[in-house]
Amino acid sequence: MASFSLPTNQTLPSLLHSHTPKATLTLNPSLLPKSSQSQFLGLKLSNSSPLSVPSSSYVKGSIVAKIKEGSLAPAFTLKDQDGKTVSLSKFKGKPVVLYFYPADETPGCTKQACAFRDSYEKFKKAGAEVIGISGDDPSSHKAFKQKYKLPFTLLSDEGNKVRKEWGVPADLFGALPGRQTYVLDKNGVVRLVYNNQFQPEKHIDETLKFLQSA
Amino acid sequence: MAILPHHNPTLRPLQHARLSHHNSLPARIHCSTTSTTPAKPSRDQIIKQPTIINPPTALVQTSATVSARPVLNDPSLQSTWSHRVWVASGCTTVLISLAKSLTTAVDSHIWIEPILAGFIGYVLADLGSGIYHWGIDNYGDSETPFFGTQIEAFQGHHKWPWTITRRQFANNLHALARAVTFTVIPLDLICNDNAVLHGFVGVCSGCIMFSQQFHAWAHCTKSKLPAAVVALQDAGILVSRSQHAAHHRPPYNNNYCIVSGVWNEILDNSKFFEAMEMILFFKLGVRPRSWTEPNSDWTEETESKSLISEL
Repeated sequence: MASFSLPTNQTLPSLLHSHTPKATLTLNPSLLPKSSQSQFLGLKLSNSSPLSVPSSSYVKGSIVAKIKEGSLAPAFTLKDQDGKTVSLSKFKGKPVVLYFYPADETPGCTKQACAFRDSYEKFKKAGAEVIGISGDDPSSHKAFKQKYKLPFTLLSDEGNKVRKEWGVPADLFGALPGRQTYVLDKNGVVRLVYNNQFQPEKHIDETLKFLQSA
Repeated sequence: MAILPHHNPTLRPLQHARLSHHNSLPARIHCSTTSTTPAKPSRDQIIKQPTIINPPTALVQTSATVSARPVLNDPSLQSTWSHRVWVASGCTTVLISLAKSLTTAVDSHIWIEPILAGFIGYVLADLGSGIYHWGIDNYGDSETPFFGTQIEAFQGHHKWPWTITRRQFANNLHALARAVTFTVIPLDLICNDNAVLHGFVGVCSGCIMFSQQFHAWAHCTKSKLPAAVVALQDAGILVSRSQHAAHHRPPYNNNYCIVSGVWNEILDNSKFFEAMEMILFFKLGVRPRSWTEPNSDWTEETESKSLISEL
């Protein structure tokens, strides 16, 4: 369940949490042939469909596989802070809290990482593993982890490939990588999706609450 | 529209002071600290450890560094005739705008619209002051083209915030007055006989020009302020002392507005500046100063250290 909340007196609701994921292909209706059916990069398109105004949901469904609750988390293999390759499948058999964050050493991400650190024992008690993912390289992760004494793994999603594959929505009209957390059950199925860019500590509250009630 | 807490009392005025008052210099004892923490040394310590900040390097120091402590009664804090002329010109352009608004409003028999426009000008001046202040506090340095002097001044203000209360009126306002003069003269011409536009321009530019005075008042203690100023601060019409004090505490990333402060809560609660900082970081790769640990450039040196110079 993607939830979104802002502090009181917030004035930026419409700017935050753009649900339109960055599609890797751009559909321009004016370039499409006028025939009733056409092939475009392997996808069957029809003019009778609302293609003249491609809706974001259509784009989402066809081009970008967005991971949501109930989805089986796609496998990935990334380097951790020590440069070792880590696969998501390694954690099968236990719940995983996988949190995508914008960048190391930024205020929100630091607050979030430290909050996960401070509640890490509770996550362990719930049997869950915590993994952070951002586009930073392993050396950045290593420094970040050491500086704040983070007890969990940080994965380096260079090029933001996994972020795009999972459809983590960007914020502020795409200017800012989104902050979204997935809770996977022991079978690797997504059970909770939580998004909140500017209240990073809430990710810990929400995921812990979910794990403890499960 | 520039918002300048004060010209940083850097080397140039200090050098001037040293050169012109060198006979009296040995009598000036003021203390500095090399600590990067905001610890307040005891008065005994201060008396026992008088020192003058690095005179040789100070004499060759350029405006690129912010390490010259302001000296009380420093000429750099006093108004010159040039300062007074700029303040007069700024005030004149603002008054022209306001007068045009008033006379045109009388001729056109409209009241609500110009007054409302003026109120909007007052409100937006506060927003503008915050955004400008945020930008100058966090980005660039003394070498930045056009803004370098102001950036240096802002950093100096964070290090010695009390200095602004020792500045004479025209000295404090002249930089903003100059910016207002250059901006409002063309606006006075463009707005022609439009009472509403003149109302907006007059009030907005007036508030921006005097924001430095409001800022200075926000640094004063209550006992040193006129009752009317205290009343306006308490009413939220001028930025309050407590609100602005929050800006001068780590992590120095909030309460940037200095006219009325009405926008501070909205901007801080909505994480507006945090969002802007993140966007600039991801788009341009620049980190704002407020993201890093306070270093000696930011850490405030308290006024008590320099009181020795008045003994």
